[in-house]
Amino acid sequence: MRSPISRTFVISWDLGFGIWVLGFALLTSTPALAHHGAASIYDMSKETTIKATVTEFVWTNPHVELGISPSGGATTELLLELGSPPNIRNRGWTSRVVKAGDVVTVTFHPGLHGAKIGIVVKMITADGKELHA
Amino acid sequence: MIRYALAVSTAVALLATAACSKPAAAPATPTHPNLSGSWLPIARAGGLMPPLNEIPLTPWAAAKFKAERPAQGENQDFANTTDPSLKYADPNGYPRISLHPMRFKLIQTDDYVYQLWEYNQNWRQIALNVPQDPDPALTWYGNAVGKWEGDTLVVDSVGYKDSTWLDARGLPHTQDLHLVERIHRMGANLAFDITFEDPGAFTKPWTAHLMYKPSEDGSMTENIYTISDELRFRERFLNQKVNIPIRR
Repeated sequence: MRSPISRTFVISWDLGFGIWVLGFALLTSTPALAHHGAASIYDMSKETTIKATVTEFVWTNPHVELGISPSGGATTELLLELGSPPNIRNRGWTSRVVKAGDVVTVTFHPGLHGAKIGIVVKMITADGKELHA
Repeated sequence: MIRYALAVSTAVALLATAACSKPAAAPATPTHPNLSGSWLPIARAGGLMPPLNEIPLTPWAAAKFKAERPAQGENQDFANTTDPSLKYADPNGYPRISLHPMRFKLIQTDDYVYQLWEYNQNWRQIALNVPQDPDPALTWYGNAVGKWEGDTLVVDSVGYKDSTWLDARGLPHTQDLHLVERIHRMGANLAFDITFEDPGAFTKPWTAHLMYKPSEDGSMTENIYTISDELRFRERFLNQKVNIPIRR
């Protein structure tokens, strides 16, 4: 049984910093928003970082899918989305960068209302490669 | 008679030889800038299109815009969106397809300029130096003709299906949409100044200024998106029921 290496983490900020962060996020997160906005299904004010076992990595449209099991099993317990293939390819992702069974550390915005989904912010592979979504 | 025929044929042969030996006029050297290459949008805060308050919507367009449920932006409702490119996986139409953060290629020939988009592998052709069709078929990407004005390629297009959105916000148009694009280099970058005319949707013409930068990696990733992809995503991420066969 693997346990999360960090708990859900809520950023707190003063207003000025918040506006700066929001503006930066709008600029840098545009590629992930080509298909849909994130705010209607994810809590963009929260980031969760966990260490988990990859259960599936599907290189598909409209979004690449990363299934993980925080408990170390083979069944998807949490389904995460990334950008579309061309967008994340521009950031160094490939269709074989991870595979089922790999252990990764992944940071994501969790689904609203406790949904077992999320949108990836970044992932660190077992060999230390850091990839941003 | 035979002697006369020989004389005539000899004269014709001599004239033909003289014509062939005369230096041919050199073909005109193209002086137009080369637009060919792979291009990526230059992102800017708030998106590539102008803010809504700068777009002179008619009452019809304002009401239609208000009734739409886009998947992005302030009033996003991805689960129940009315976006035709998500709800039906329709082609984006133009210029929406050029707003994606993905590449497109321009291929310039003497007769046509081809624009190939990485998104969904859609493409359009711009026929050069021909008149616009007065009664074009309605299509996703319109009927585009172009001509050079100095260093600027001026593209005139009509014949757009009215079911597409002009951008992901849900900006509407009618089938009378008329676009005039001025495409030109700005240093290493490429500018598309697009003027929108559509009396049903806009009270007066307005212009969007889109900028693209060269993509050093010119390879295009296959990125074909189908209704099955969309419904699979909705089933997995939103728990939405799917009523038709899809690939899982």
